[in-house]
Amino acid sequence: MSEIVQSEPFVMNIGPQHPSTHGVFRVKATVDGEQVVDAEMVIGYLHRSMEKLAEERTYTQNIPFTDRTDYLSSMSNNLGYCLAVEKLAGIDVPPRGQAIRVIMAELQRLASHCMGAGAFANDTGAWQTPIMWFMREREKILDIFELTSGARLTCNYMRIGGVAFEIPEDFEEQVRALIGPMRETIADGEGLLSGNEIFLVRARNVAVIPPELAINASLSGPMLRGSGIAWDIRKADPYCGYEQYDFEIPIGYQGDAYDRFIVRLEEMRQSLRIIEQALDGLPGGPHSTEVPLSLRPPAGEAYARIESPRGELGYYLVSDEGPSPYRFHIRPPSLINLSVLKEMTVGGSIADAIVALGSIDIVVGEIDR
Amino acid sequence: MEGAGVQIAFWVLSVLTLVAAGGVMASRNLLHAVLFLIVTFIGVAGFFVLLSAEFIAMAQIVIYVGAISVLILFAIVLTPQSVRDNSETAMVGPAILLGIALSTIFLFVIHDTAWPTTNGTPALSASALGQALLSTWVLPFEIASVLLTAALVGAIMLVRSETEENEDVADVDA
Amino acid sequence: MSLATDHWYDFRDLSNLSRVILEGIDKVAPYELAYIVAPIIGFVAAFVIFVLPSQLYVGVYGERRIIGRIQARRGPNRVGPFGLLQPVADAIKLLQKEALTPKVADKALMWAAPVFFVAPCVLLFAVIPFGPRMVFADVPAGLIFFIGVSGLPVLAAFIAGWSSNNKYSLFGAMRIVAMSVSYEVPLVLMLLCVVVFTNSMSLPAIVEFQRETDLWLIFMQPLAFVVYFIAVSAELNRTPTDIAEAESEIVAGYLTEYSGMRWGLFYGMDIGYALAAAAFASTIFLGGWSMWGLEQWVPPWLIFIAKTHLFYLVFIWTRGTLPRLRVDQLMGFAWKFLLPLAVVNLFLVSLERLWWLEAGLGDGMVFAFAGINIVFSAVAIFLWARFLGYRPESIPTRPRLVQKAGGYVPVEDPPGGGK
Repeated sequence: MSEIVQSEPFVMNIGPQHPSTHGVFRVKATVDGEQVVDAEMVIGYLHRSMEKLAEERTYTQNIPFTDRTDYLSSMSNNLGYCLAVEKLAGIDVPPRGQAIRVIMAELQRLASHCMGAGAFANDTGAWQTPIMWFMREREKILDIFELTSGARLTCNYMRIGGVAFEIPEDFEEQVRALIGPMRETIADGEGLLSGNEIFLVRARNVAVIPPELAINASLSGPMLRGSGIAWDIRKADPYCGYEQYDFEIPIGYQGDAYDRFIVRLEEMRQSLRIIEQALDGLPGGPHSTEVPLSLRPPAGEAYARIESPRGELGYYLVSDEGPSPYRFHIRPPSLINLSVLKEMTVGGSIADAIVALGSIDIVVGEIDR
Repeated sequence: MEGAGVQIAFWVLSVLTLVAAGGVMASRNLLHAVLFLIVTFIGVAGFFVLLSAEFIAMAQIVIYVGAISVLILFAIVLTPQSVRDNSETAMVGPAILLGIALSTIFLFVIHDTAWPTTNGTPALSASALGQALLSTWVLPFEIASVLLTAALVGAIMLVRSETEENEDVADVDA
Repeated sequence: MSLATDHWYDFRDLSNLSRVILEGIDKVAPYELAYIVAPIIGFVAAFVIFVLPSQLYVGVYGERRIIGRIQARRGPNRVGPFGLLQPVADAIKLLQKEALTPKVADKALMWAAPVFFVAPCVLLFAVIPFGPRMVFADVPAGLIFFIGVSGLPVLAAFIAGWSSNNKYSLFGAMRIVAMSVSYEVPLVLMLLCVVVFTNSMSLPAIVEFQRETDLWLIFMQPLAFVVYFIAVSAELNRTPTDIAEAESEIVAGYLTEYSGMRWGLFYGMDIGYALAAAAFASTIFLGGWSMWGLEQWVPPWLIFIAKTHLFYLVFIWTRGTLPRLRVDQLMGFAWKFLLPLAVVNLFLVSLERLWWLEAGLGDGMVFAFAGINIVFSAVAIFLWARFLGYRPESIPTRPRLVQKAGGYVPVEDPPGGGK
């Protein structure tokens, strides 16, 4: 009978100008009624050729570029790049520099997850309220960044061999003042959303990524952990002395959109724990080692990876002993996490596709570079 | 109801209804035709109000404007070639003949009926209507409801997907 | 029944004033003139005391301020004192903007849709009793009138969405029609419960029933009230059921291609319909203008307006707090959850009414009925939800926590116990 009552699939452009594509990203979705039968991703609207441009600039000059890839977590990007250069040149970072880096990276994770969790709630239709609550806390973190580095979004704070400046005097006080309200906001967000049946039916069992697919597609970050895989580069391949801190990896149950959301919220709690520990044991000494301005690392290659808010952020550098990298490549977690979008959306409805996209928490600047 | 106001309302409604009914026939776009049909329905509801039959007027709006026209709109939009024109087919000739025959019959009936006039408001309240439906006319009423139930079941059967059907067959077999 | 007198200056009953004016006109002019002046007086009065303040200062300004409060921000606060002139500024801005029409749109229909959208909203207020004698049209079937007329804007929205010739608009149009068809059924069944219980379809009579029994219908028919609220928010496109305009999914639904004052008409009338639904709800369920005797001192129309705005506040509140359901979930909710409850409730109410009539019980019985119905509603909602397989605790809402990085952690064996 179903041959008689049939609708024709048609192509619907979701994006590049759409409220829920988180930037200029486009999905060519073939829909049959409300159901998505095919989805094709179109990226490149924000391409700025950063990897090629970086080959013309010195190692230090490249740091601001990394700010502008994942613009919601510039500190993490700075860190990943600096780690790669340090690995290439064999530079050690003093303990104080490492601790400051950890604090900054975790603050950045908080800020980014605030945005990610809030935007996800927005995509499920919780009209602006959760995102505004999380934004309020994010603003405080950005204030701290401004206090420290002079910039709110594109901080450009990490340097090869440490960090750019010593932290200001009231830094510790301000960060500690932030932790309590942040915990409350996380609890509020969790209470409002994970206790809400509408939110649960929208996010549970939607856009499920089975563990096998998550591993085979090389996903990372909350996307991977949401599928129940305990993997965190901070634990598996520690950098910046993450092995000294006591924290846990939150993992989800079945890899649906809700699991990814709640893993993000729990990661925020763990980040707060790390920040507290790092502040308590903040060592003295210099914040940075002296590194020549025109750094010429020995010939060779290096790959450094960190756990950015979105997943495994890798920087691959090849040096030919020149002042600028011979090859500069970024492994952007957003791009690789996005690769499973088709598997997540096909078969679901348009509304589910939006939730799926929101649960990946993409930053288009990082995808297109 | 009487008075100049009623006269004016009657003529306005007549023009509205007739023009809209003409529009249903004349418009090439099927969707426009449906929208004209809705205006016709509203005009007819206005006539009911003039006849002091508010309940029937309301029922006219609820059922014809609110439900039936929505169904027609759905049918037009959901079927393939939805915006096909109200084009000319081979049925135009028979349709005109049928229309002429029907209107002739109507004219005769209207002309030959002795229309009774009443003074004052006829007692056509909702409760009287309900009493009549559940006492004098209870059999037609029940037949209509059985028919509607059958239509409902039939509609569900029509749109079931094959997988659901197979599942049900498997359930019966098991 | 009321302390209100027949003096024209007694503002507790504004119908006195209009009667005095009309009688004056009657003496000096042909009597037909009164028929023309009466609606004008009514319209102006309603506009001045209800529509304008509600629309501008509850619907636009109040809603944005309260939503702002919910969202930890300030809301409009720049234009005029406390931002009070913001609605006026918005209107001026909208009037100046160009109302774009896409090249491929059906221009006539796109132009007509906002007009069709506005007209029923004005009609809806005609049957609402603002006070004991303050109702424009005391239609015997006022309840049916309200249901019928409130179905018309759906058609206008459909025309808007279809004529825009945009895929998002078409999605919005289809969704709003599907939603209206689905939610009309439980809505009408529940209002039928009210009709059976009060034995009247006239809105003033229903208010009078509630005043005489000293008990509002929200207590006698709690299930009907809940279903009415859900169904009406689905028909009005208020979050959590605003799927026809779902911003994060289909941009703006049927309004995607509208701009300028054409969009403004839709926006304003959305508020207008929400206010009409609130006014209807406070008439049917919240006792209308009656307030346990308080209406003898406070003007009844003020009580009524306060109730309406209170109900509207709940709309704002849900809009600021709840996520949006998916379209199939919303449809399923109407057909699977609300409809059976509505049918069962109708059956129960009919039994109660029959017993009430046959046994010749006094008015005191309504308190017993209220108790029965409140208990029944709670039990029915809970049991039916369980029966439909609602198990919120099946999967924990908190993630598991592990100490060491490794591979996949099976769900059956959560190391670290999982919180």
